[in-house]
Parts: sequence; structure tokens; C-alpha cells
Amino acid sequence: MTLFLVALGLCAAAAVAGATFPRGSRVVVSSVLGSLGCLIAFSVALRILLTGDTVTFHTAQVLPMTGVSLTLDPLGAWFVLASSFVGVATCLYNVGYARGAMASRSALSLFMVFVLSLLVVPSASSIMTLMFAWELMALSSLLLILTDQARHPDARSAALWYGVMTQLGAASILLGLLVMTSNGSGQNFADLSAHSSTLSPVTRSFAFVLVLLGFASKAGAVPLHVWLPKAHPEAPSPVSALMSSSMVAMGIYGIIRVGEGLLHGGTVWWWIAVALLGVVSAFYGALHATTSTDLKRLLAYSTIDIIGLVLIGVGAAGALADSGQPVISRLAMSAALLLVVAHAAFKGALFLAAGAVERATATRNLDLLGGLIHTMPVTALVVALSAGAIMAVPTLSGFSSEWLLLQGLLHGFSVVSTPTVIVMLLGVIALALTGGLTAVAFVKAFGIGFLGQSRSSGAAQAHEVSKFMTLAMGWLVIPSVVIGVMPGLFVPLLDRAASSALGTSTVSPFTRGAGLEVAQLSGAIQPAAILIGLVAVMVIVWALNQALAQRRARRVDAWGCGRDWQTPRMQYTATSFAEPLQRVFADVLRPQSDVEVTHVAESRYYEQSLVYENRVADILEARGYRPIIAVALRVGQFARRLQNGSIHRYLAFGFVALLVILVVVG
Amino acid sequence: MNSTYIATLELAAGAVLLSAIMTLWRRNVRSIVAMLSVQGMALAAVAIVLALHEHEHALLITGCLVFLVKGLVVPHLLRRVSLLDPRSRESRPLVNVPASLVFAAALIVLSYVVGTRITSLSPSSATHLAPLGLATVLVGYFMLVTRRRAVSKIVGLILVDNGIALVTFLLTSGVPLIVELGSSLDVLLVVVVLQFLMVSMRRHSDTDRLTEMKALHD
Repeated sequence: MTLFLVALGLCAAAAVAGATFPRGSRVVVSSVLGSLGCLIAFSVALRILLTGDTVTFHTAQVLPMTGVSLTLDPLGAWFVLASSFVGVATCLYNVGYARGAMASRSALSLFMVFVLSLLVVPSASSIMTLMFAWELMALSSLLLILTDQARHPDARSAALWYGVMTQLGAASILLGLLVMTSNGSGQNFADLSAHSSTLSPVTRSFAFVLVLLGFASKAGAVPLHVWLPKAHPEAPSPVSALMSSSMVAMGIYGIIRVGEGLLHGGTVWWWIAVALLGVVSAFYGALHATTSTDLKRLLAYSTIDIIGLVLIGVGAAGALADSGQPVISRLAMSAALLLVVAHAAFKGALFLAAGAVERATATRNLDLLGGLIHTMPVTALVVALSAGAIMAVPTLSGFSSEWLLLQGLLHGFSVVSTPTVIVMLLGVIALALTGGLTAVAFVKAFGIGFLGQSRSSGAAQAHEVSKFMTLAMGWLVIPSVVIGVMPGLFVPLLDRAASSALGTSTVSPFTRGAGLEVAQLSGAIQPAAILIGLVAVMVIVWALNQALAQRRARRVDAWGCGRDWQTPRMQYTATSFAEPLQRVFADVLRPQSDVEVTHVAESRYYEQSLVYENRVADILEARGYRPIIAVALRVGQFARRLQNGSIHRYLAFGFVALLVILVVVG
Repeated sequence: MNSTYIATLELAAGAVLLSAIMTLWRRNVRSIVAMLSVQGMALAAVAIVLALHEHEHALLITGCLVFLVKGLVVPHLLRRVSLLDPRSRESRPLVNVPASLVFAAALIVLSYVVGTRITSLSPSSATHLAPLGLATVLVGYFMLVTRRRAVSKIVGLILVDNGIALVTFLLTSGVPLIVELGSSLDVLLVVVVLQFLMVSMRRHSDTDRLTEMKALHD
């Protein structure tokens, strides 16, 4: 535990260094301290996962009255593992990236506070510590969105949305946790867990629903997601990477910790609700990702998609545990946890790459990019591998985790209760459908953004970003490849985290090996073998091609369809690529297109210019949130009538109130 | 000795309230300020009489300070402010003078009704007078609400402050010196700020009637 405290201390020191050091050295000093702290936290988490120990720490200092309580068990360590790994990368990245507003004292120190809070949230073991770290995380990220508001005016409204949603969420979590203390069990998680069985079932359900609402909104589950596609893209890229990979994971962590850890699983319908949230989120997120043309917005929607899959896993695990299927339940929980870590790595890498693209081309609109593979080869490789992972291409991390999830869901059909089976079925459908949609989205992101010809001068003049930034991106690709090729390495750690999450000690569903083998359920894959097979096939095809093809190669433009010449305007754009899908799902997406034709003066048959505009608004925002906001504004307008600028009236309010109080009391 | 003490205390405390009502009655800003000066001195007298009777040196110092700040310095500054405007009359208050006086009478009755419950907690010759302080607070607040000129409003604010001070003197023989010092300096500061504000307001809109400031709201 001492080592973990040292890690937290280093992050705090990095925050102080960022706030105090002079301009020339503060970025480097705070980033070095921060990445050191994250590395140490990573090693501590790894050791806990290897040994299965639980370490605790309590001090009466720091927070008045209650003090700080920290506990790292395998479940918390699993999430610390994810956020510290991404933390290292973002700190490194910041060395190359921080410039202008992001290199200011406030931004640097807030950034390190954000990293610190992401390490404290999964290790907090009392309500006060958790809520304090939670608010620290919310507020620091909120302010970080506003860092560069001078250049990104949209950041203001994004921050407003985020601020309102996160504060409502935090209030809901706090209320839920307080409801749990209504039996006088105190505020430590150990006491809460020991006494939660004395709560009445209604109270427990009430507490869980409140807590679920708060954590699900942080995780970005539909319909509480509206802030996410606004806030994640507007933040500076290292912050987006942390928000989208680690902060959403904290929402998942909270659901597991409270639902399974403190309330011991509760009833089946809780988890069916969680899984249904997941199904809706996965589908909605994937669909919007396919139609987004803003690179970072696309990534943000795909976060909603993956979080949906994770929620399906968590929900399935909870429902199966409550239906007396502990082994399959543990399998589903393992799948969800593995997906959290895999997602943290590849989504972190993708956001950092998006930041690199934005830095190099001054835009993140896919319709203005193209051809970046020639000018930014390293970034292109990072995006290719990470996009492969998110599309669940075999031998990359997304495949391993989604395969596990599928195993859990398919074996879950053996449960007798109908609602659970229906949810499992919906989960399988969502997994299949979103798999296809995600593939479309990322083929689009990579194909339009990095292949073909450049569509703007910014993209044509791009150049590879600095060494620190490419190094950071490369660091985040490692897990995608390693988990993909040798998932067996992680199975012992994963198994420990999953059993700690469910709080049961059943037989492990896995057998040890290089691949994934689900012993009791007779399912296995060997990604290493798949990789060898794939490489062999490629070599054979290449050799056959060399042997049989005619010698003289003919060089033409890529995607040129055999034409001798082509202009960038002839290529697919991000909008046109997604257009067929947009038509298919028009009922859900409600796209709006405008075609504006200007004719030449002489004839209506010849046009001078043609402007096509296509917008896909978030339908849930327009139909669900806007009416609520309109009502709130109307109430606000009414309240403003009291305020007419007359100082006499304001004073009279106070005087009358005083007289009324005197009369009532006297 | 004791009857002299009670009579002086009653006289001084009564003077505080009476001067408050006089400020409502007078329209000329300069005579309003003069009333305020009288009130400050009467308040100081209350503190000093109490201090002599109970042999409290801290209260004696407080009394002298009150005499200096509220009896002399603040009225002097306000007089200088009012000299900036030769036509310094509270021309049309929101509630006219006779009505104001009737209202003040009602406020005094109210404060006696409410105040007797406080004084019955520890009845003594000093605490019996506490409703006078409460009435001064209410009259001051009433002035703050109904008068249009900035100077009159400030006078209302100082009346409130004096009323609170009177209540604390009578109920608890004064608050600690540092608190009293703090609140007196506050009032002084408000008056100094007002002086600057008045000058710039007059340059801006040629009036110090706050009704004209309505256009400034957001």
C-alpha cells in the first residue's frame, strides 16, 4: 500500500509542479512525475492481481471528520491497471502535445489532478472518499474541457451539458449510497457490505436504481449519454483519451462495486435492466458512430457502443449469478472486465491519434482528410491496429473479449427463466449487429481519413507528430496486440478480478494456456494459432502471386477504379460512405439534408453551384432533453419577473421577509 | 444612584429610537444627517452609561469609539456628500411622510410584541429597553426600502446597524470589541464608497436617485 501511496503522492506532486514551475520546464517535470506515479500504480495493481491480496489504508487526515479510506482488492486493481496504463501514455503524449492553453499552469495541474482522481476512485473504500474523488474527477475534467474555449467555442455548451449531467449523476449516486446507510451501518464499504442484508428489498432496489442512474450517466449509457458526444470531442486530446477510456470505466466500476460488492447481487431484474441499457447503448452508439463525420465525435459514439457491450456483460453476469449459474456468470463478468481494459487501450490510442491528426492538419472533419498514411505513417499504423481491435478483428484484443462475451451469453441460454434468456438473446443480437456497424464506422474512419487522396491543403501538408506523441500512441497499442495474440497471459489476473467482483469462490471457468479455453463449457480459441495461420495464408498468396502473375506491374491511383486520373472530389467522402446505412436506419437517425442549387442567370437548366449539407442530430437529445430544458427555461423566465432592476423592490423583499418572520415567530 | 442610572439609560435609548423616527420625518438631507449624528451620540451614551454601571472597561472603549465613528466621522462624511448637491431634499419618497410615521408606529408596536418575549428571558432594567433597538432596526430597514436618494438609503443602513448595536449593548453588554470595531469600520467604508459612487453617478446621470438606475439591470 505504501507504494500505491507513493504513486498517488507523485501524481499530486506533478499537479503542484504543473502549477508552480516556470513555463520552460513545467510540462516536462509534471509529465515525468505523473507518468512515474502511474507506472508505480500500475505495478502495484499488477502485483495485487498476481497475488490476489487486498491492501487497505486509512488516515484521519485530508478529509475532515471522516478521513480517507483506501482499499485495493483485485476488482479495484483491475480498474487501476487500466487507468494507470492510459495515464502513462497521456502524460508522455502531453510532453509533445501541450502547447498554448494546454501548457498553462491551471491546465497542467488540473490534468494531473484528473489522473490522480482516476487512480483514487477505484481504490476508495468509504462513501466520503469515493464521492470526494468522484467530484474531483468530474470537476477537473469539466474545467479541462474549457481549457481551449477561446479556439473552440463549442466547448462552452459542451461543458454546460457535462456539468449538469455529471452533477445530477453525482447527486443520484450520493443519494443512493445514503439510502444504503439508512440501517445505521456507517460509511465504510466493509460495514455497508456486511449489513446490506438487513435492508428491506424495496430499500435495496431503490438504492441500486439511484446509484445505477448516476454511474450509468458517467459511463455514457443511452439515454443518459447526451453529454458524452459533446464533451469528449471538445476536450484537449489527452483529456479526451482519459475521459473516454478510463472515466467511463469508472461508471462500470461503480455499478459492479455497488451492485455486486455492497448489495450482493440483489434481484434478477436489476441486472436485466443493466443489460437492456447495454443493448440500447450498443446499438445507438454504433449507429451514430457510422454516420459521424467528425473523427473525435465518431470515437465518442463508439465509446457508447463498447460501453453498451460491457454493460451487457455485467448485466448478464449479474442475472446469471442470481439464477444459480455462478460459473457462466463469472465468465460473462470476465468478458466485461477484459473488454473494459481492451477498450481503455484502443480507445485511448485512437483519441491520441485523433489529436495527432488534428494537430497535423488543423481539422478533425473526415470529409477534409485523406491520404494521411503517406504523411503520418506511424499514426496510421496506430489507428489501423486500434481500429482493428475495436472491430474485433481476430488476433487483436477486441476479438478476444467479444468472443468471451459471446461464450458467456450463448451458455447463458441454459437458464430456465424466460426474461433472462430474452435478454441474453438481445445481447447476442446487439453484439452481432454492432459488430457490423462498428466495422463500417472504422473502415470509414481509416479509409476516408488515411487512404486515398487528401481532400484539403491541411491534410496534404500534414507531417508526422513528435516522438513523444508517437511513443505514447505506440504504448497504447501494446495491449491490443498482446491481449489479442496471447490472451492466456491475462486469464489468471482476469479470473481473480472477476471472482473478486462477484464475491463468490466458484470453480474458475478457464483452463490455463496461451489461448482462451473455457474448460467447463467446451469452448476454446488459440489466437496465436490463428495469427500463424493468417500469416501463412498471406505468405502463400504472395508467393503464388509472385510465381504466377505477369512481371510488369501497372501503377494507378489507389481507389481509382482503373481511371487514369482522378481528383480528390471523385472519392468517397465520410458522408457518402455512410449514406446507404443512414437511409436504412432513417427512422432512428432522422437525418436532415439540405440541397441548395444556384442557377446561372440565363437558364434554369444550368446550375452555378450546388451545396449539399447533411446533419444527423441526436434524436434523444432533441425529443427527450430539449422539452425538459424548455420547461426549465420557462420557469427561469417567470422567476426573472421578480427581478426588474428596482433596488427598492429587492430591499422590500428582504424587509417583508423579516417582518413575516417576526410575526410568525413572535 | 440606581434610579439615575435607569433614567439616563432610558433617556439615551429612547433618544436612539426618537432620532430614527426623526429621520423619517425630515426631508432635508442635511437635517437627516444631523439626526444621525444625534443618534450616534445617544448610542455612545448608552454604551458609556452601561460601562460605568457595570465597570466594564472594554465597553467603555467601545462607547468612545462609537462616539467618534458614528457620532462624528460618519455624519461628517455624509454631510460632505450631501453638500455635493445643493438641492438635497428627499423630494418624493415611495411612502409619504405621514404614512411613514404611522407605519413606524406600527413597527414599534410589533417590536414590543416580539421583543418582550426576548426580554423575559433575563429581565433587568437594561434588557427591558431591547425592543427600542429592535424598533430602530425596523425603522431603519423601512427607510432603506422607501427612500429614493442614495444618501437616505445609506442613512437607513446605518440606522439598522445602530439598532443592532443597541440591542447587543442592552442584552449582552456589547459584543466583543473586535466585532463592534469591525461593524463600525464597515459602515465607515460603506460611506466612503458611497462618496465615490455619488460623484460618478452624478457625472453619469445628473442625479443620485436610485430609481433612475433601473435601466442598468442586466
